Formats: sequence, C-alpha cells, structure tokens
Amino acid sequence: MTALLDGLALGLSAAALIATGVVLVATRRPTAALPVLLEFLTAAGLVRLAAEPTWSRLLGAAAVVAARRLLVGGLGAGGRAAPTAAVPPAARRTA
Amino acid sequence: MSSSAAGLAIDVLPENVLRDVVDVLVRLVEAAGAAIIVAGAVVAFVQFLRVGLGRRRSEREFVSIRLKLGRFLTLGLEFQLAGDLLRTAISPSFNEIGQLAAIAAIRTALNYFLSREIAKERAEVDAASDAAPRQSAS
Repeated sequence: MTALLDGLALGLSAAALIATGVVLVATRRPTAALPVLLEFLTAAGLVRLAAEPTWSRLLGAAAVVAARRLLVGGLGAGGRAAPTAAVPPAARRTA
Repeated sequence: MSSSAAGLAIDVLPENVLRDVVDVLVRLVEAAGAAIIVAGAVVAFVQFLRVGLGRRRSEREFVSIRLKLGRFLTLGLEFQLAGDLLRTAISPSFNEIGQLAAIAAIRTALNYFLSREIAKERAEVDAASDAAPRQSAS
C-alpha cells in the first residue's frame, strides 16, 4: 500500500511539472502557472501523507502548505500593487 | 457492579478486536481519500493538456480546471480527516498522538485555506463572466 501511494505521489509530482509547463507555454504568465504547480504538489503531499506518516513527510507537506500560503499572499499583493499584470497578453499586445 | 460491567464490555469487545476493526476502517477511509485526490489530479491533468494543447487557450479555462482540482482536494481531505478522527480511538503512544495531531492540524489548515481560495477565485471567475456579456453589449 505504501509503495503504491509513494508511486502515485511521484506520478503526481511529474504531472505537476508537465501541467505547469503546459500552462506556462499557453499563457506565458508564471503567475498563472505557479498555482497549478502548487495544487499538484499539494495533492502529491497529501497522497504521501496517507501512506506512512513520518515526521519528515509531515515536514514536507507542511512546507508545501506554507509555500502555498506565502505565494498566494505574495501574488495577491503583487496583483493589487500592479493591476496591469491582470491584463491578458493578447490585450497587452493590441494596446 | 461497575467492574462486572467493564468485564462484560471486555468480553463482548476485546481491545485488540476494536483495534483491528478501527485499523481496517482507517485504511479504507484514507484509501478513499487518496483515491479521490488522485482521480481529481488525473482528471485535471488531462483537462490541462487538452486546453493547453488545443486552440481555446484562455486563462479563465485554466483557473476553472484548477478550481475543480481544488474541490477534489478538499473532498479527499475531508475523508483523510475522518480517518484521523477514527485513529484517535486507537492511538496508544504519545509519539503516535503527536504525529496524529500534526497531520490533523496540517490537513485542517489546508482544508480551510483551500476552501477560502476556491470561494475567492470562484467569485472572481463569476465576476469576470458577468462583466464579459455587459462589455460585449455596450
């Protein structure tokens, strides 16, 4: 069971990188791709926690959650400070 | 009187049987939670690829897929928290109780933040989709 869940978590981490790359290429905006990476990494951490809870796994999951909060807060503050960042690339090109 | 009641309870439900039953239940509930999370991630991954490699690449589509993944994560987390609750019935050592408390704290915090993020982004997506027809009408 633990080996299966570890394998699934590894697969989710790989999916995180691929999906983030796809979103980054499609939107050309790291602020759109980063939440995708964090969402998939959170899923991987949760699956890993369901396997065999050890203190190191706990720390890893807690680090991802803390990074999520930090980045979401930081991106939110950045978005409020620079409202032009919310304009899609296509609109910026035509402007 | 009370000692005979306790003796009867031990006869009817010995501690090791209770421990085994709860252990099986915890595994089932946690496996269900993990299955929901993995299923949500697989669905979201396929949708990200489809939208990203297709022609209709709008950022709103990606946000909507991410919100869907977030909903799967919160549902899976609810199952895993249920497993944590069950596990409190059979945690004998202080180390296990400490780990359990830490896991439950992480999962509860994540569940709270995820739900808040989903509600906030859902409101933003709804506001953007409300504004789009108004702009096209004017």
